Amino acid sequence: MTIDRRSLLGGAAALPALGMMPWGSARAQANNVLKLGVLTDMSGTYRDGCGPGSVAAVRQAVQDSGVAGRNIQVEVLQGDHQNKPDVASTIARQWIDRDGVDVIIDVATSSCALAVHGVVKEKNKIMLNSTGATADLTGPACHGNTIHWTYDTWMLANSTGGAMVKAGGDTWFFITADYAFGHALERDTGDLVRKQGGRVLGSVRHPFPGTTDFSSFLLQAQQSRAKVVGLANAGVDTINSVKQAAEFGLTRRQKLAVLLMIVSDVHSLGLNTAQGLVLSETYYWDLNDRTRNLANKLKGPLNGAMPTMWQAGCYSAALHYLKAAADMGVAQAKASGLETVTRMKAMPTDDDAFGPGSIRQDGRKLHPSYLFEVKAPGESKGPWDYYKLVRTVPAEEAFRPMAEGSCSLVRT
Amino acid sequence: MPDALPPVLPDAITDVMLAIRDLHAWYGESHVLHGVNLDIRRGEVVTLLGRNGAGKTSTLRAIMGLTGRRTGSVVFEGRETIRMSPDAIGRAGIGYCPEERGIFASLDVTENLMLPPKVREGGLDIPTIHALFPNLKERARSQGTKLSGGEQQMLAIARILRTGAPLLLLDEPTEGLAPVIVQQIGAMIREIKQRGYTVLLVEQNFRFAQTVADRHYVMEHGRVVDSVMNHEMAGSMERLHAYLGV
Amino acid sequence: MLEELLFQLEMSAPQIVLGLVNGAFYALLSLGLAVIFGMLNVINFAHGAQFMMGAFVAWMLLNWAGIPYWGALILSPLIVGVFGVILERTMISRLYKLDHLYGLLLTFGLALIIEGLFRNQFGSSGLPYAPPAALTGAPLDLGFMMLPKYRVWVVVAAFAVCIATWLVIEKTRLGAYLRAATENAPLVQAFGVNVPRMVTLTYAAGVGLAALAGVLAAPIYSVNPGMGSNFIITVFAVVVIGGMGSILGSVITGFGLGLVEGLTRVIYPEASATVIFVIMAIVLLARPAGLFGRA
Repeated sequence: MTIDRRSLLGGAAALPALGMMPWGSARAQANNVLKLGVLTDMSGTYRDGCGPGSVAAVRQAVQDSGVAGRNIQVEVLQGDHQNKPDVASTIARQWIDRDGVDVIIDVATSSCALAVHGVVKEKNKIMLNSTGATADLTGPACHGNTIHWTYDTWMLANSTGGAMVKAGGDTWFFITADYAFGHALERDTGDLVRKQGGRVLGSVRHPFPGTTDFSSFLLQAQQSRAKVVGLANAGVDTINSVKQAAEFGLTRRQKLAVLLMIVSDVHSLGLNTAQGLVLSETYYWDLNDRTRNLANKLKGPLNGAMPTMWQAGCYSAALHYLKAAADMGVAQAKASGLETVTRMKAMPTDDDAFGPGSIRQDGRKLHPSYLFEVKAPGESKGPWDYYKLVRTVPAEEAFRPMAEGSCSLVRT
Repeated sequence: MPDALPPVLPDAITDVMLAIRDLHAWYGESHVLHGVNLDIRRGEVVTLLGRNGAGKTSTLRAIMGLTGRRTGSVVFEGRETIRMSPDAIGRAGIGYCPEERGIFASLDVTENLMLPPKVREGGLDIPTIHALFPNLKERARSQGTKLSGGEQQMLAIARILRTGAPLLLLDEPTEGLAPVIVQQIGAMIREIKQRGYTVLLVEQNFRFAQTVADRHYVMEHGRVVDSVMNHEMAGSMERLHAYLGV
Repeated sequence: MLEELLFQLEMSAPQIVLGLVNGAFYALLSLGLAVIFGMLNVINFAHGAQFMMGAFVAWMLLNWAGIPYWGALILSPLIVGVFGVILERTMISRLYKLDHLYGLLLTFGLALIIEGLFRNQFGSSGLPYAPPAALTGAPLDLGFMMLPKYRVWVVVAAFAVCIATWLVIEKTRLGAYLRAATENAPLVQAFGVNVPRMVTLTYAAGVGLAALAGVLAAPIYSVNPGMGSNFIITVFAVVVIGGMGSILGSVITGFGLGLVEGLTRVIYPEASATVIFVIMAIVLLARPAGLFGRA
């Protein structure tokens, strides 16, 4: 259990949603309005990677989808779940029951994602998950109302972890955020390491959220003498871990595997500290003309920052949903989340974020993933020029094979 | 209920140090002083007599600005202080010794003694104070509240003698003390009068008051209702008994 | 079994040292809280936000004015202290006559607003702030562990500041005013001391201590708007365990609980965020006034 300041106001968490009540419920009557709820971390450790940027990305998708020209109205709502699963499911229920929300997008933090995953199944609505990472969404917990869009823990383990093992890092120690995401990432990476003949020497789990000092965990990692120290955490936790690993000289004898790091984390760390780190993402603004095009569109709302893969995923997911819903007709799309998702799975995807792709039976969105190395300060040509592409993993190899996921939707 | 009469000084009013006119004071909603009038001349020892709740302590607190709202006029050495903050009044030259003595538990005896800042030249120096109150020297490092009641009272008075404030407000310095200590306090008050201090003394015990004061004011229901010269005390006993109910 | 125990012991020594570093932050922060609570009777919930401001002001001084770490160490507490003066004069001073709860709610609200404003301006993932050149480079080899120089500095600086604060309060005339005013502020004011001004400056000093801790934290923790709220609940537990308003109590408890937390990180890391609250519950049951508090 972790207590932080905001839990004191836990009860008040749903207040913004309550504030929408009088006019929200009136509008919910309108049957030709598609309602997209962006449920994300607006104030906590993951905010910069998703948060307001995810909302902006979804709005951009609404604009780019052209549904306005087809006389379909779309409304975008936003909610702050504060990385608390109970808050997340409360807001999700209120959105669906009272405000008539059809699809919930983003849902950062795996524990919140799993909570909302349950709600949309119960209510036959849709979750398009971009930021939550746990591969369980398309594994044992899978169902037909959720699509896992951007990435997952298996893909991170496979890409970053696989690369580290291939480079000789065959003994591992994990520093893991003590909640669903960290556990899943540690498990998936550990499995991969063992499968490729490596060994996991140990792990330590730190409270989430609320850990600032990682030095004692780093010290345990040093004492393990593992060749690779895997950081199965994210956001500010990873930033603090990397910063303090440099301070303690951990990187002189061991390799640091940042299993989940996104471009805004690198920006926050600065290249001096981040240079040389190897990480995996599915979107980077400077990959090609299409990714740069999307970044240009989002630069304004993001106050000059480049979109992260989480935000790009929200864009891509919303865009595809609107296409499918427009094809089906708004009334039908609103009637059944399951049917709409089935329709989305049947259609190929194509957008500026990930290029062409598809959605698998188990709800896994497929596109390539990229292994990047963070540039040294001298190599960077300007702000946000942070990555060198090391390797592209094609879509069919990037994600866990469907047969291994034990998803009940998959009939063999 | 007699109206608040302007206090009558026995002879022409000369060298009035503290002049209070129509002083009202409140604690929150409760109106505790209803138009106090009194004068104190330089060098006098004046007592405020009266029953419990007559407003004696409130008068001292109101002079210091320690009640809530207050109105009227309190002129000290020619300066109106009614709108001043307590610290400004203290610095103007009024030394205050509260009823509960106000010895600080977290300070030792010396720290208690040295706490009030000097407000004027001419206060007693430490050797003089130690000569007057030898116990304070012996117990210099003791926690203030570890002293006996009498010693605490001595300390409470000694520390305002040090500051050079020419007017001292003493609130029931004899309360709860053994007769022998009460005598010592009486001697001390006469001693400081000798040294030219002016004293406004709140007392319940008018037999004690008689031994130290030049003049007495009697308070009732938040007003000054009478005044008696000390040498007229004997002839006014009946009146005083009526006021004080003794 | 024995092997396991030896391993634990070998692991423990460095953790104790690291616990001391965290304890240094707890001590500095709870010291400021204790000073403020003792004098103002206000539970300063904005303390975490002011800690965060200290770190951000250090960052601004470096990036906007080119003033390095050592200058920020002095300037940032002063700047945040002035901010404290404004808060105290315009808002907090209106609440002294009311229940504690009002001060707590006001400062809690202020903390949310301050953090929100910083989050809007700077995002949530933080800004880089490098340690000063003199304290970077190879970690010190203590034999049983490698300790970065900067961490040594944090412990030394925090300890020195704690001792200095304690000396000021216990051994100086100003300290005597503070202690006396804590007991009976009206009387101290009647003696001619400008107590309202002293209260304001005390608040500023407490806030300045928080900001100083923030500057010390900037090079090792991510400078982000939430950095204070992670600390502050733990620090409140430290203050409660030590005894509200007890200066020495907060310093000793701060360092002590840092050690306990450090050891917990070896023995059962999942509980490291909880252990202090377990201790708090036990202390409150056994000694409601805290270990060093006067009942």
